[in-house]
Amino acid sequence: MAEKPEAVKVLYCGVCGLPAEYCEFGPEFEKCKPWLIQYAPDVYPDLLKDSDGKEVDKVSDQMQSTSISAGGSSTSKPEEVKRLPGGKVKKKDKKEVIIEKVVRNKRKCITTVKGLELFAVKLSDASKKLGKKFATGASVVKGPTEKEQIDVQGDIAYDIVEFITDTWPDVPESSIFFIEDGKKVPAA
Amino acid sequence: MFIRFTSEDVSAQNQVKASVQRRIRQSIAEEYPGLEPVLEDLLPKKSPLVVVKCQNHLNLVVVNNVPLFFNIRDGPYMPTLRLLHQYPNIMKKFQVDRGAIKFVFSGANIMCPGLTSPGGVLDEEVEIERPVAIMAEGKQHALAIGFTKMSAKNIKAINKGIGVDNLHYLNDGLWKMETLD
Ligand SMILES: [Zn+2]
Repeated sequence: MAEKPEAVKVLYCGVCGLPAEYCEFGPEFEKCKPWLIQYAPDVYPDLLKDSDGKEVDKVSDQMQSTSISAGGSSTSKPEEVKRLPGGKVKKKDKKEVIIEKVVRNKRKCITTVKGLELFAVKLSDASKKLGKKFATGASVVKGPTEKEQIDVQGDIAYDIVEFITDTWPDVPESSIFFIEDGKKVPAA
Repeated sequence: MFIRFTSEDVSAQNQVKASVQRRIRQSIAEEYPGLEPVLEDLLPKKSPLVVVKCQNHLNLVVVNNVPLFFNIRDGPYMPTLRLLHQYPNIMKKFQVDRGAIKFVFSGANIMCPGLTSPGGVLDEEVEIERPVAIMAEGKQHALAIGFTKMSAKNIKAINKGIGVDNLHYLNDGLWKMETLD
């Protein structure tokens, strides 16, 4: 018997559901753009060029310095955070928890939680706690960017912030963000 | 074909007998030998296999509510695009040029010139009435699954009219039906 072929992981767009490379042919490319800039910048390099490159770099530099200091104090600057979706996001260096509700065929939806590991939270443990707290399924999966994330079944975005800050006091509320309509919104 | 496919088009949904399940499995293994090592994962012998009969003589092979394969009448089984994306090398491939992509997205059949132009690619071994993956110029993943109306050689030689029927394409009804309730 031949060797087991490895399943290819396709980057599907979080907005329209097509493989990211086909968003440009999909029905709502404009709506896909913020998502693509964040998760698939290599697929559409022109999108990054469209938004003013220099401006973007400046914003993300500021963001990094902000988040380093945000660890101790809670004086984050949400107005700068809001500008990020238009530009390049350097996720690797930023300590943030990102919560996103993803709708899967009509009514079913899952809430994804990214970035807890940056606060020294063990994801498998967090996944168990979330599943228990919200009486639902929760699992650690590889996200579209190959980073691990927690998928929780159901729409729990509303209650999750309090649960995170209560359970893991090291995670400041100011470091938690929602993705809403492709935009990043601070939870605080 | 799948353009307006919704769950309302489902006319019958049956868990098939073990003998039928075995036959379906076997014909899939014969059609796609590259898939054989993972067939037990995809169609576990112990999980019930459901065949959903839809309009236009379309049958879906469904495991755990996920459509994995389809066929028309008694024709060869073809993977859904989501499955093909995971195992892209199980099918023979044609490639359409970039200009043809938007037409395929609208459900149009694939015209010969879209395959013979500089952006197109033909696998010369493909005969008439065979399943084929439709790739696209500049794209990594399959755009559609088609059934040839001409052999690859004739597509090249005749170079007009419909070369491949577009059976299943990105954003059609089957694509959107990630799971079947
Ligand atoms: Zn998209």
